[in-house]
Amino acid sequence: MKNIKAISRMLIVGIIIVIIVIAGVVGYYLTIPTTPAAKDTLVEGTTDSIETCLDTARAYDFFGLSIVQALSSGLVDFKPGATGSVNDIIPALATNWSSSADGLQWTFILRQGVKFDDDTEFNATHVKYTFDRGISINDPDGAFGGVGYGDIIENVTVVNTYTVKFYLRIPFSAFLSLMAFQVSFIVDPRYAPFDAVVEYDSSRTPRENHAMGLGPYTLANWTRVAGKETEIRLEANTRYWDASNGLPKTKNIIIKFYSDATNLASAIRSKQVDVAFRQLQAVDIQDMMTDDTLHVWGGTGSFIQYLCFQERYAPFNVTAIRQAVGAAINRTTIVQTVFLGQAQKLYSMIPIGMSGHTDAFLTLGDPNYNKTRELLAPLGYNETHKLPFTLWYETSGHYPQSADLATVLKSSIEASGVISVSLGSAEWASYKEKRSRAEMEAYIYGWYPDYVDPDDYTYPFIHSSGGGWLNTNYSNPQMDTLIEWARGNTSATTRDNLYAQIQNLTVTDSPMIPLYQGSAYAVTDPKVKGVYLDITQVWRYWLLYIEQ
Amino acid sequence: MTLRAYVISRILLTIPMIFILLTMVFVVIRILPGDPVLAHFEKNVDPALVEEMRVKLGLDKPLWAQYFDYVFGVFRGDLGKSMYDYSPVAEQIFSAFPATLELAISSMIIAALVGIFLGVQASKRYNKPVDHTIRIFGIVTYAIPVFLLGMILQLVFGVGLRWLPVGLRMNPMLAAPQGLSIGALHFSTGLYTIDSLLEGNMFKFVESLRYLFLPSLTLGTVLSGVFIRLTRTNMFETMRLDFVTAARARGLRETTVTYRYALRNAFLPVLTMIGLQFATLLAGAVLTETTFSWPGLGTYVVDRINFRDYTAIQGAVVVFGILVSIVSLVVDLLYAYLDPRIRL
Repeated sequence: MKNIKAISRMLIVGIIIVIIVIAGVVGYYLTIPTTPAAKDTLVEGTTDSIETCLDTARAYDFFGLSIVQALSSGLVDFKPGATGSVNDIIPALATNWSSSADGLQWTFILRQGVKFDDDTEFNATHVKYTFDRGISINDPDGAFGGVGYGDIIENVTVVNTYTVKFYLRIPFSAFLSLMAFQVSFIVDPRYAPFDAVVEYDSSRTPRENHAMGLGPYTLANWTRVAGKETEIRLEANTRYWDASNGLPKTKNIIIKFYSDATNLASAIRSKQVDVAFRQLQAVDIQDMMTDDTLHVWGGTGSFIQYLCFQERYAPFNVTAIRQAVGAAINRTTIVQTVFLGQAQKLYSMIPIGMSGHTDAFLTLGDPNYNKTRELLAPLGYNETHKLPFTLWYETSGHYPQSADLATVLKSSIEASGVISVSLGSAEWASYKEKRSRAEMEAYIYGWYPDYVDPDDYTYPFIHSSGGGWLNTNYSNPQMDTLIEWARGNTSATTRDNLYAQIQNLTVTDSPMIPLYQGSAYAVTDPKVKGVYLDITQVWRYWLLYIEQ
Repeated sequence: MTLRAYVISRILLTIPMIFILLTMVFVVIRILPGDPVLAHFEKNVDPALVEEMRVKLGLDKPLWAQYFDYVFGVFRGDLGKSMYDYSPVAEQIFSAFPATLELAISSMIIAALVGIFLGVQASKRYNKPVDHTIRIFGIVTYAIPVFLLGMILQLVFGVGLRWLPVGLRMNPMLAAPQGLSIGALHFSTGLYTIDSLLEGNMFKFVESLRYLFLPSLTLGTVLSGVFIRLTRTNMFETMRLDFVTAARARGLRETTVTYRYALRNAFLPVLTMIGLQFATLLAGAVLTETTFSWPGLGTYVVDRINFRDYTAIQGAVVVFGILVSIVSLVVDLLYAYLDPRIRL
């Protein structure tokens, strides 16, 4: 009797399990999604994130501005493969433009028939609104304040529906580059209030979470968990002004966020994503270059790193000591050992490939230990009495391979035999604070440009006003004058000449020493095409596609 | 002491414990060197703006006032505003919590199942090759860094065999499961496995399990080492007790004797260990989540440490502390229920 009960109990349990399994299997097959054609959807993996929001009044980070560029357009743009030259600037929302002889007035003729994604017609009032708003908000975290738009633009005037005129405070030769910078992209007044930044709010729709609306894509989804992106979905904007040219090439872009470079490398190797962009480790990129199942795209990077000296106190308040350290830097070791050849030796604050660049710092040597010893000997430093200093680097991964770079720099400088280097490190937040308080005597810093022009590689560093944020306490009126001349001059030849002088003076004063220029890399499935990596650092989502 | 009295006294003891934790976290965060407000800005900024932000975050007040604001805030469910993006920390933490909870539950299930099963097998084959193998496995899994095991599993099952995804919570091609929606009513747990079932989408359910499997296996395997050792020792002692001999003498099957009689008695210390291991589980989750890009509290804590977001770190530590206190409380109560001697 007991056995019969047990058997029937087991039978009932068995039947229930079978029913659940059958229901599950049927349910599984019924809910398999009808996935869009693979070529219509491209999945990108990244370790980046949107630092603040998708409003040009505040957005000031590489990834955030890449999304801004997918969601909006500027008056002008850089053509793919650009070198940063004015000749690489192409029409976008403006079809034509001109400047006054003194460079203080810029007139733009706007494209007609352009519509925002909400069907509002674009006109000159939107241009005025965008700049008036950004300058008025002047957010301390944003580029309008950071770059100093208000110091450059005095007024924006609507001439007629399709003509807008900018009145500048100073002649600013990089003005077109500034207009091609994503922060200058047009916002939609219906979503971007004049006096407030559009911040992320999980309770709002994706459309309400950004200020743009004239780009090749619309924002279909933007999910943040605990303040960090987990997913962004872009869908082709059917009202995009350049849609007639078949843009964007891929209808849907899905962006997934990985916590570190190792996991991102695994994701592209396992084909979980079609594209891996920012940031993969040099060793992984090197390995992937020989992997037939992947394609590595390389291009000129606009990122540079440099060594700063604190001139407020000894020892780097003496020019000869700064030059001596500069002469002891072995850039070949940096490029080959730290970056496995995936970077370029840099001998100027202006990057290679940009107009105005010269290899000015080669005059100090690379390395030239005799020069180091010659410069230090009169100051009493030699093999028995070495110059001691602490070299600082950040440890939060804000810059690539910071610890390796610092270690290689230390050994390179110490190889002179007359300098002794101690290493100091701090996580990024402390590092910035130490910089602000002038607590580090020598420190490694890096730079991604705002707008692509030599001005953005000189004014923010070595001009006594523009470079104040770096807090090196370097100031030279002659340098200030040269930089101001260069930024106000529209003749390419004159500018090149002025930048050559600026670079020579930078070597003479050596307030900072350029170290290397990063190269840009993206890794994709071999079927992915349309990747352009140039010095403009624009990641062109709208050109990416999967070959059938 | 009655069970009710025990429960009340145990709950009352938890309150000062949480209070001490809140105070300690507040003090530790405040004595760290550096100015979190100044650290926020990339470039030099107008001192007036720095002051404005200080006021916005309540850092202009004296320490005692900050402390009371903080403690009262915690009791109201307000963990302050992030120093990085000014969003409410409680909202951020609770948006990440379901992911961590899902990972914690599945890892603990794997750890307990693997640990108890292997522990029982080892005890039954005491000092034999199987026992030695299991013991070595237990020691290795206990010692191996969780991120290393995670990366090995990723390389084997993700990159090599391509059976399982190497990271994330859901297939990129699929939207996150939305849970149950009936008309205007909406209910979701944030646990993808549960929400996909509530949504009635078996495909998403299977996908969420696939994405959950490797991180859970990683963390569960690392935690299982402790359970193996504990179960093995306890089972070995229990199997030699008189009631087990009596059960065998009555002709019961060995499986019944082992799992129904002996394991039930040997389970109490394991239960305690489950509670104690919860803190280890959360610590392990920090690394596991980072290894698998799992968007939970662990990833959140790592990010916020990098930004020196004091309020967020403080909030996360408090939530972790309260969770561990609650789990300890539940385990103690369960223990008291199962073993009346505790209440004596």
